[in-house]
Amino acid sequence: MDILVYGAINSATLSLMALGFTLVYSISRLPNFAHGALYVTTGYIVWLGVNALGLGYLPAIAVGIAATAVIGGLIYRLFILRIRGMEISEIIATYAVGLAVIEGLRWGGLRGSTFTLPSFLAGTVDVGGIVVDYQRIFVLVLGAAVFAGLNLFVRHTKTGLALKAIAQDERAAMMLGIDSDGKALVSFAVGAGLSAFAAVLILPLGNIVVETGYNVLLYSIAVSIIGGLGSFGGAILASLIIGFAQVLTEVFLSAHYQMVISLLAIIVTLLVRPSGIFGKQKELDDRV
Amino acid sequence: MKKTVRGTGWCLLLLAFVAFLPGVGAAAEKPIVIGAPLATAFLYGWDAERGIRLAIEEINAAGGVKVGSVKRPFQAEVIDTRDLEPGVPVSEALLGVEKLILEKKADFIVGGPVRSEAALAAMDLLNKYKKVSILTTGVLTPAYHKKVADNYDKYKYCFRISSHVGVMANEFITLLGDVKKGHGFNKVYIMVQDVEHARKGGEVMKKMMADKGWEVVDMKIYPTGTTDYSVGLSDASKRKADILFLWMDMPESSILLKQWSSMKMKALPMGFVNAAEQPGFWKATEGKGEFLIVNLVNGGNAPAKITPWTMKFADAYKKRWGLEPEGYGTSSSYMAVYVLKEAIEKAGTVESGAVIAALENVNVMGVYGRIAFDKKSHQVIPSLDPEQGAVTSIVQWQKGRRVQVFPPKTAEGKILLPPWMK
Repeated sequence: MDILVYGAINSATLSLMALGFTLVYSISRLPNFAHGALYVTTGYIVWLGVNALGLGYLPAIAVGIAATAVIGGLIYRLFILRIRGMEISEIIATYAVGLAVIEGLRWGGLRGSTFTLPSFLAGTVDVGGIVVDYQRIFVLVLGAAVFAGLNLFVRHTKTGLALKAIAQDERAAMMLGIDSDGKALVSFAVGAGLSAFAAVLILPLGNIVVETGYNVLLYSIAVSIIGGLGSFGGAILASLIIGFAQVLTEVFLSAHYQMVISLLAIIVTLLVRPSGIFGKQKELDDRV
Repeated sequence: MKKTVRGTGWCLLLLAFVAFLPGVGAAAEKPIVIGAPLATAFLYGWDAERGIRLAIEEINAAGGVKVGSVKRPFQAEVIDTRDLEPGVPVSEALLGVEKLILEKKADFIVGGPVRSEAALAAMDLLNKYKKVSILTTGVLTPAYHKKVADNYDKYKYCFRISSHVGVMANEFITLLGDVKKGHGFNKVYIMVQDVEHARKGGEVMKKMMADKGWEVVDMKIYPTGTTDYSVGLSDASKRKADILFLWMDMPESSILLKQWSSMKMKALPMGFVNAAEQPGFWKATEGKGEFLIVNLVNGGNAPAKITPWTMKFADAYKKRWGLEPEGYGTSSSYMAVYVLKEAIEKAGTVESGAVIAALENVNVMGVYGRIAFDKKSHQVIPSLDPEQGAVTSIVQWQKGRRVQVFPPKTAEGKILLPPWMK
């Protein structure tokens, strides 16, 4: 029962962390390596909103998510737009922005373990003899709701369908009058907003530390690579694989091998199926 | 002409008056530069910097350091070694130390490097440049003072004014013995972080506790940055552990205490927990860190009445920095500057050989008891009695305060159990 409950929660946490990263790549084929930095920035914005500006918790959360989405859009407008299509430059630029943001936060004095966000609901619930706090239940339920909502958005709204069209064939979409750059900017902003949403759900479980930015990025990349870059279904499956593998590792081996398991899963995936489980990149024969 | 003479006279009088103002005479002399290589993004770095700066400000305001016939001020040069950050190589810290010596012209090194591996590597640099160093924070490995004792001529420049794992483990064992007697506990579950000092600390405790008749149920090692401890805590509950022994220096360990409280675990948490040392821990855990017993390594890192100087220091720190002494590295860094002043004044020079001899003979009643160094290993002499040596500070979080509960001679409160354990 422990494995089932903690595995499910761990998987939901991982998939929430990776959601924004997967979305941006699936739509605009842009790897946003500033994803972790945006996640941790949201935490500080909400913290400042509550503690320095005296906003209520919910308004501060709204401000945090909106501000991070705007920052995401700005990253696209100021940096990515100029280098779009040059894959290595995209990675370097987004990683550099992320690094600058994280180190900037540290330099600005946001360090130590005293930055925390309150839980939405204090207390615990007994799930089959396992004590789980409400916040983790929130992560599980809202994580599933966001996935469902995102699927509806992509499949059933005009913007979502336009984004999907760009993902499938950008030139054909442009011929049909879809503004590729505009939609990519939207995808970047929505992806940043999703990282912000994940942050406000997950950060109340612990505290806000700048190093979290690196961990979130690492887990997002692991989930995306294993699931197949840009695949939502793949991201969910990969989160389940890594989430449960980590819990099983802790139960049967030792917790400090958890990261090894994630990296091992990436290596195995790259060896067996380089495109990831649901990846749609060209197979080796096609590429040569 | 008469006016000019009178004007010159007034100017001379004014100059003479200014020269005799406290601190001004010292300020005119060449400062004694204290180089502080510290990981300033982490508690053990920034609190050490604050401790050093506070001591320097106090000493300079009182006139400075008497070196022979002149009074010279102290001046701090701090450099961020980043040595507590994951992935930063030891060489970075060494570059920092070398920069302090060569570019900043440091006369002495006080503070770090903070990570044991970096401090051990820096010992050769200190020998190369013949610079006296007083280690005040981090570096809990006994290897540091053993290295001095084993090769005194080479490493005689290295002093440590804070404690180490060997002393801390013995203190924990004594404290646990009292808890065992008082409450009949006999099962312990150990959780440590996957870094050198924590793994070693856990292993030492595991062995010592087994030797003392404790049943060590299990020892879990967690990677740095772990944000969920549910599985381990659940396991400890099932195995009916009475004590949850922790050794971690990552901020995420506050999550562990939140989960411990949410689960209402019937195991008393204690150990070396960096996140729990700071005054902000209470707020960070929304009060769920209550009852945690934590080792602050040196007395005075939380307000307590250990010696007459302890509360004077705690109050001065609060006035200067706006919060109570923050944790390991605070009082020891402050004290090191005063001890250095004492040694320089006794030596009458800043020359290394003379200052080493003077430091070896230092005997000061400081913030955390009597400060004296072992002449062979240059390790501050520890004690459970502040009259005899440097004492630790083991506190328990009680109603938002860090209450000193060990050693008995300096305790200001008794260990309390959470209501769900009674």
